[in-house]
Amino acid sequence: MTQEGVATAEEIVNIERPQETLPSGWEPNILAFACHYCAFAAADLAGVMRLSYPTTVKIIRLPCTGKLDPYYVLRALEGGVDGVFAAG
Amino acid sequence: MIVGKQKPFEQIWDMVKAYGSILVFGCNTCVAVCHEGGNKEAQILGSLLRLKAKQEGVTIEIQDGGIERQCEHEYFKSVAEDIRKADAVLSMACGAGVQFLGEKFPEKTVLPALNTTFIGVVDAPGVFSERCMMCGDCILHLTGGICPIIRCSKSLMNGPCGGSNKGSCEINSEVPCAWQLIYDRLEGQGRLDLLDAQIPVKNWSHSRDGGPRKQVREDMKTGNETAAGKAA
Repeated sequence: MTQEGVATAEEIVNIERPQETLPSGWEPNILAFACHYCAFAAADLAGVMRLSYPTTVKIIRLPCTGKLDPYYVLRALEGGVDGVFAAG
Repeated sequence: MIVGKQKPFEQIWDMVKAYGSILVFGCNTCVAVCHEGGNKEAQILGSLLRLKAKQEGVTIEIQDGGIERQCEHEYFKSVAEDIRKADAVLSMACGAGVQFLGEKFPEKTVLPALNTTFIGVVDAPGVFSERCMMCGDCILHLTGGICPIIRCSKSLMNGPCGGSNKGSCEINSEVPCAWQLIYDRLEGQGRLDLLDAQIPVKNWSHSRDGGPRKQVREDMKTGNETAAGKAA
């Protein structure tokens, strides 16, 4: 570290890098919570435009991301997803 | 309402990790208002503990639940079985609720998830501050509705000390001087005459100095006290 308690950019990248080697072709399971009025509509539009995204991403529509309870995120992580994506 | 604060997570983990099964048990009245010990917070803490157990490779069955108030008999009926099934109950109530649960289920280990902090108000969403220390002998009618016992750092009864500085207390400029607040309130109400009244030396025997307190409404009594209640 260059300064006491301040990590360099390289160190931050190393922290974020998974410690174990991942098998080739591995993709994280992502749960996306999307707001009905913006992000979900955008996902819908992406479909209309024939754009694709990995099948490991699952979307849950919320009436608003304000409805995203911390417990939903924790339950998702408990259930084994690798990441949660909130879009709104 | 009673305000509480969750203990640091690592401290809670150290308390629960030795048990085979835990019930994380919310109290959905006072401590739910300060977002620390309600049934919602019990759900979240239960989930965090399950994730922690998984991370640490420790096998604990962690359930979560809760009732409206852990300081009254009637709410326990529907959850008695859940409590009996767990090795220990991590109560998210204030100190009174934790003890009451222990009195009702004396065979059960009850662990406190919260530190009970004070009786206070909701100043703004997420901001809570102390207003009453339950001295048992209220004088708010003499002080413009502002309590010098709890709001004044020295609990002075007859005016400010020399540390009152431009409306602030000497302990911290962020803390208002209670007697300045009292003066301003009474001035606004045209009741500065109340300051002429000399408040006598306080009788602290109505407070904690008289030992644990108890009050009984004979016309409302139906029996059904806990063992500890009868002994008091």
